[in-house]
Amino acid sequence: MQRLRVLVWKEFVELRLNPRLFGVVIVAPIMQLTLLGYAASTDVKDVPVVVADGDRSVASRELIDRFEASRNFSVIGSVTTVNEIEPYLETGGAWLGLVIPAGYGRALANGRPVTLQLAADGTDANSTTVALGYATALVGGYARDMVEASAPSHAAPAAIDPRIRVWFNPQLESRHFMIPGVLALVLLVVTVNLAAMAIVREKEVGTLEQLNVTPVRRWELIAGKLLPYGLIGMIDVLLVVAVAVFWFQVPLRGSFPLLFGISAIYILCTLGLGLFISTISDTQQQAMMTATFFFLMPMIYLSGFVFPIENMPGVIQWVTYLIPLRYFLVVVRGIFLKGIGMEILWPQVAALAGWGTVVLSLAIVRSRKRLN
Amino acid sequence: MSAIEVRSLTRKFGQFTAVDGVSFEVGKGEIFGFLGSNGAGKSTTIRMLCGLLRPTSGTALVGGVDVSRDPEGVKRRIGYMSQRFSLYELLTVDQNISFFGGIYGLDRDTLARRRTFVLEMAGLAGRESSLARDLAGGWRQRLALGCAILHQPPILFLDEPTGGVDPLSRRQFWRLIDALSSDGVTVLVTTHYLDEAERCHRVALINGGRLAVIGTVAEVKQVFASRPIVEIRAARPVEAMQLLDAMPGVEKTSLFGTALHAVLKNTDVSVEELARKLRDAGIVVESIAAVQPSLEDVFLDVVDKSGSAA
Amino acid sequence: MRTILAVARKELRQIRRDRRTLMILAFLPAFFLLLYGYALNFDIRNIALAVHDRDGSAESRELISAFVNSGYFDMQASITSMRDAERLLDRNDARAVLVIPEGFSRTVTTGGTAEVQVIINGDNANTATTVIGYASSILRTAGAQYAPGGAVLSPINVEPRIWYNPELRSTLFLVPGLIAYVTMLMAVTSTALSIVREKETGTIEQVRMAPVGTFPFIAGKALPHFIIALGSGVAVFGASMLLFDLPMRGNWLTLAIALSLYLVGALATGLLVSTISDTQQVAFQIALLVSLLPTLMLSGFIFPIASMPAALQVITHAVPARYFLEALRGIVLKGTAASHLVPEFGALAIYASAALALASIRLARERG
Repeated sequence: MQRLRVLVWKEFVELRLNPRLFGVVIVAPIMQLTLLGYAASTDVKDVPVVVADGDRSVASRELIDRFEASRNFSVIGSVTTVNEIEPYLETGGAWLGLVIPAGYGRALANGRPVTLQLAADGTDANSTTVALGYATALVGGYARDMVEASAPSHAAPAAIDPRIRVWFNPQLESRHFMIPGVLALVLLVVTVNLAAMAIVREKEVGTLEQLNVTPVRRWELIAGKLLPYGLIGMIDVLLVVAVAVFWFQVPLRGSFPLLFGISAIYILCTLGLGLFISTISDTQQQAMMTATFFFLMPMIYLSGFVFPIENMPGVIQWVTYLIPLRYFLVVVRGIFLKGIGMEILWPQVAALAGWGTVVLSLAIVRSRKRLN
Repeated sequence: MSAIEVRSLTRKFGQFTAVDGVSFEVGKGEIFGFLGSNGAGKSTTIRMLCGLLRPTSGTALVGGVDVSRDPEGVKRRIGYMSQRFSLYELLTVDQNISFFGGIYGLDRDTLARRRTFVLEMAGLAGRESSLARDLAGGWRQRLALGCAILHQPPILFLDEPTGGVDPLSRRQFWRLIDALSSDGVTVLVTTHYLDEAERCHRVALINGGRLAVIGTVAEVKQVFASRPIVEIRAARPVEAMQLLDAMPGVEKTSLFGTALHAVLKNTDVSVEELARKLRDAGIVVESIAAVQPSLEDVFLDVVDKSGSAA
Repeated sequence: MRTILAVARKELRQIRRDRRTLMILAFLPAFFLLLYGYALNFDIRNIALAVHDRDGSAESRELISAFVNSGYFDMQASITSMRDAERLLDRNDARAVLVIPEGFSRTVTTGGTAEVQVIINGDNANTATTVIGYASSILRTAGAQYAPGGAVLSPINVEPRIWYNPELRSTLFLVPGLIAYVTMLMAVTSTALSIVREKETGTIEQVRMAPVGTFPFIAGKALPHFIIALGSGVAVFGASMLLFDLPMRGNWLTLAIALSLYLVGALATGLLVSTISDTQQVAFQIALLVSLLPTLMLSGFIFPIASMPAALQVITHAVPARYFLEALRGIVLKGTAASHLVPEFGALAIYASAALALASIRLARERG
């Protein structure tokens, strides 16, 4: 026990004398979460629209006003012909081009239906789909208003009245979804890198060899790294959750102690992964590159952080079961947005605990004190 | 029983044999020097004996414990100091001592006692709060030694402990080793500073992974018993060398710093004759005399012999 | 010139000996090819649907079929209570729940209006919006067949025309982004680490002693990394053209210029990072801070810049990947000519020069 104690004590003393690292470990997570919390929004707002108004009538003006008034759109230019739209879309200045043909106002006044062309920049398929949806809805709403204003009695009831309710996030604030995810991601990146460097640094400097010559045990070496970095990790958890709840006002509907507890298991996984990487690398550069490129990047993409796992082909979905971030994302989003508890989250917790045990065991096995 | 017993110790790395069937014994309290050029196999041998590297074949008993079967048992009984003076840079002198003391499980009183001893031995009393990284070469070296002996191990392994340290500090260091040895500590030290090696009780020369020569310093120099060595200082050493090499009585020559060493084939050749022949050739000879063989002469001889045999 | 090549050759030799790095260099592009080719997309399909059919009539079953046949929804479960619905949504086992009221059949066949509920899992707002869209349109179409007379002919119809990407394949959106992302990351980290490592091991002292100017030293060190990153980007690009029909509607030269400008900036960033770090660990963390997450999040790669709060949009102006992405997407997908990309190229050039200048100043100060 004494050995473990001095090992942990040594880490803290070293950390205190490494202020830059300290800053990176405490300040960076908060900074990143804040910055990215603002950026990570998939809402589509202020879509730049260019209008080609071939009619220049009161009616066309009214339609354009509708677009300008909507918070979803921002009319950035007005031209006359379709061809003039092209440069806007090509340079990305506008995402949509609304084409109002000449004779629009007259057709409407005479009760004839008109067709408007809506040119959309398809490069960003996702945003385009959403923007098109908004635009269609806006025009549709405008049209319905016109019909009701002119002849309310003609409006025959539809057969189906859709009642759509959104659970957990009625305002559809994508931030509520993304920020818990960013939280999990930031924790992952910081802790894995910390731990990955931990053992390799001593390898490079030579103090690991010195330790290997002493009676210190393998598990003590690992635990001696795990405990101090685990403490830092948990402090990070507190900090980032505080930022999420108090700064971004993301509602925390579930139990905070539960979140804290499961985070501890998650941190164990991430630190374990980092330590394992440390044992399979000879230089710090190797450790860092392996951690980032072999592990972190695939995890970011395949964990369901941005790209839904349901959309992935079956084979790859199987692979995602190996990623601890996947489970923690479910936990963190569930506790924040849905307020669910252990009864529902126990499979995720079990998976995380299992993962952590396996990876830590691997790290201990691989940190042989004697080369073969 | 010897402190260290090595029988046919071998270590291969793939096709390359770094240590090839090395056998020797080290008695209690001896200072045993392990000599050889870089890559000869010194570090590999020492690491096997410390339980850091598994031997491919052969056995070694350190403090009576089998290195292959119980490496952890060995580690309790030994102290080790590496070429890199592995200290924690960001810890102070005092903190390094506390750390290693804790690792070896020393209780508070013992640690206090040993701390005072080590600080005094290293000359670091009063500098406990200096960071290890701020210490100059000689101080770090002594601190590293101190940390290695906190738990008073009966056997000490020192791997090139004087690398990159000034001569004054080196001499100081060896005095410390002498003191430890007279206290009964067995010291196995590797070095390529052959002048230091003269201070060992016994030496072993390793070349190409094989043990070439072993014995007391005097015994080892016996190889020159019938072949005197003459040291010559001349104005134009290269020319002198060529001339000497051509002479029938001379076996070989080599440069020793600014001087030449000529190994004579037998005791019949006279120094005066050599001097005359050089002067006749117009080479100014500053001094010429027979000298006692040094370990460096022995070393060069060994390497030379193995080279011609290969 | 010769010194630059000498430094470069040494650097290359060191890189070649590091097998782990080589593995990663090969693995990374291949991984991303697989990924965006097969795994990653934003398209929303296979939406897990649970159905609570309180009517059990032919009409209700027809409505359910309409959902399933749309191709967007997958019938996940048939439930009998709202509590089941709650459970499924909590567990993410269903993304939408369709609730058909009792008497549905009677109501719609007699010209009445039936209230059909669709409960949607709102945690992923993006997905939810799309699901709402699908569900609404299906319900409207289904409703129209029962009340054809009630289908008001809208006076205004909208005809969408998708430019550059008619099938709305999100791959085309993601690939350029991934190229930018991967090359930036590799360039920044490898350069930063390479220099800091020399600082740590002390070999940088030798360099300072040698009569090598600051500029040739930097240039020589950066050159191999530049070539490797460039090669990587080109390889990824080529492979996606082959495997995923990535079009190339623009000019190759323009593309090369854009990529080179971007990489120079990335390398300069790596250099800059190396001058403010004294250990490899710190260098790496800072390199990541500066490249990994910002390039992913603030460049418009995944999250549109226009949707970010104003303050953040200002910050994105300092992210070189933003300009590179605009240029890249323009060149590849829209065939934009270089003349239209002057602002982007300009921004990239400014960034690269600024970073290089800063790095040189710091380096010179260190040597002095």
